Amino acid sequence: MTQPIIALENLTKTFRVALKPEGRSLPWARTWKTVTAVDAISLAIGRGEVVGYLGPNGAGKSTTIKMMTGILTPTAGTLRVAGRVPWRERRQHVAGIGVVFGQRNTLWWDLPVQESLDLLRHVYRVPPARFAENLTRFRALLDLDEFRFKPARDLSLGQLMRANLAAALMHDPGLLFLDEPTIGLDVVAKDRIRAFIREINRERGVTVLLTTHDLSDIEQLCERVIVIDHGRTRYDGALSELVERYGGDRALQVDFADDYAEVAVEGATLESREGRRAVFRFGRGVTAAALIGRLSERYTLADLTVREPDIEDTLRRMY
Amino acid sequence: MIFIRLASATLRAQARYRASLLVDALSALAGNGLEFVALALTFDRFGSLAGWSMGQVAFLWGLTEIAFGSMDMLFGGFDPAVFGQHIRRGTLDMYLLRPVNLIAQIFASDIMLRRLGRIAQGALVFAYANHVLALAWTPAKLLYLPVVLVSAVLFYGALFIAGATASFWTVQGLEVVNVFTYGGTALNSYPLPIFDRWLRRFFTFVIPTAVVVYYPALYFFDLPDPLGLPGWVSFLAPAVGLGALGMSLLVFKWGLRHYTSTGA
Repeated sequence: MTQPIIALENLTKTFRVALKPEGRSLPWARTWKTVTAVDAISLAIGRGEVVGYLGPNGAGKSTTIKMMTGILTPTAGTLRVAGRVPWRERRQHVAGIGVVFGQRNTLWWDLPVQESLDLLRHVYRVPPARFAENLTRFRALLDLDEFRFKPARDLSLGQLMRANLAAALMHDPGLLFLDEPTIGLDVVAKDRIRAFIREINRERGVTVLLTTHDLSDIEQLCERVIVIDHGRTRYDGALSELVERYGGDRALQVDFADDYAEVAVEGATLESREGRRAVFRFGRGVTAAALIGRLSERYTLADLTVREPDIEDTLRRMY
Repeated sequence: MIFIRLASATLRAQARYRASLLVDALSALAGNGLEFVALALTFDRFGSLAGWSMGQVAFLWGLTEIAFGSMDMLFGGFDPAVFGQHIRRGTLDMYLLRPVNLIAQIFASDIMLRRLGRIAQGALVFAYANHVLALAWTPAKLLYLPVVLVSAVLFYGALFIAGATASFWTVQGLEVVNVFTYGGTALNSYPLPIFDRWLRRFFTFVIPTAVVVYYPALYFFDLPDPLGLPGWVSFLAPAVGLGALGMSLLVFKWGLRHYTSTGA
């Protein structure tokens, strides 16, 4: 990897949280406990990568993203984004990144989307010619014309997300942070958002760091995933390897051609049986071919399906 | 300048709801005006308040209302109630993600035109006071009047900013803050001598709201302080206004550092 665009070394963030619910008690009258939200995370992300950042709720994903975007200051460790320390040079840092939080909105609520985009041109000092080029491109890619002159408050959730994506990219950031970009959207809207992310990554080489609970986002967009839990990195590598390494057992579903009193096969355990259908689980040490061979020696088979564990299962096993 | 553009966006957004803006402004005018009418009726019965005439109290009232209304309009983003929502809804994070000075963004975020109603109410009462009092306006007094107004706006603004800062620690926003902001200004609308001694001292020396309105008023009336403070106290208003604003901004920045280190 050449000079990474994001580099974390032992990045740590601890919070003091009130033990008793806040209620009406005054800050100094509460009892406090220190919680480590991000616990010595190290990672590097190269230019042009699309990386999925995964973990259960409360794992430390948002805290890490807030530090990388310059909203939060770390407790310990080092953090550099495009060579800068985000929280120390907040304004220069944010001028070079784009951020979309799925449940937040950066547009002026009561103004037409186009006016918000025009304002952002001034906020980020985008040269007019470049702004016009980007606008034309995003109008096509995100179909902005459908709602460009409506105030943000009148947009559907999907339209709002498209508008926010355009807003986050008008100033040509080299790096895009997406926190739950498809949350609450229908299938068609999700597909459109994903296609757009793929496109700007391919076309402009924008680096994308994405958190999501929708694993289809990950499957369709990311080659690399980072899984964190309890503030620590659990996995950092190729998506395909994640399932191989942590995926657990595969399943073989067999439809028998006859009614058998007992079905069993060496190397796999029977998981469920219903009528003529049975599901066996088998580990990495056995091949599907060997199992099928043994089964067909003993029984007459009608149909077979092998199921790989999916990411969701895999992650569930990891957390 | 980017501040002007952001501020004008805020104004444009409000202009989209002209009818509601007008209703809000008019009801503020009527609501606050009614309070003054109630006070005026009391005068009708008792004649004076701690030796102060109706016109003199109207002068204090008008000045305070113009200043507080203007402050409420210009410092709307720092209104502790509004600012607490910026934190809860994450708008503050959104501001932090833009390459523009944060304080400028907060100022530009909430310029509340509907406060013009309250300002108009203050101006009406103030005009009435001038009409009954027939004050001897010297050039010096005429020059000092706008200075006093601006100082009071800055001072009240400082209270708002300090109150907003509390939201960095307590998500609910401390109700206590209102004692200083709304309580302090309500106190400005009445002659200081009517209040209990500890209250007078508190609002003269600790949170010196009396210094920005009551003492300058004594100068405009050519009255000595019945409580015995020297005459030059009437001229401390600009120093107090600017000083308070400067301090509140420092405290705010300190609070912001706490926020960015805790994400409270």
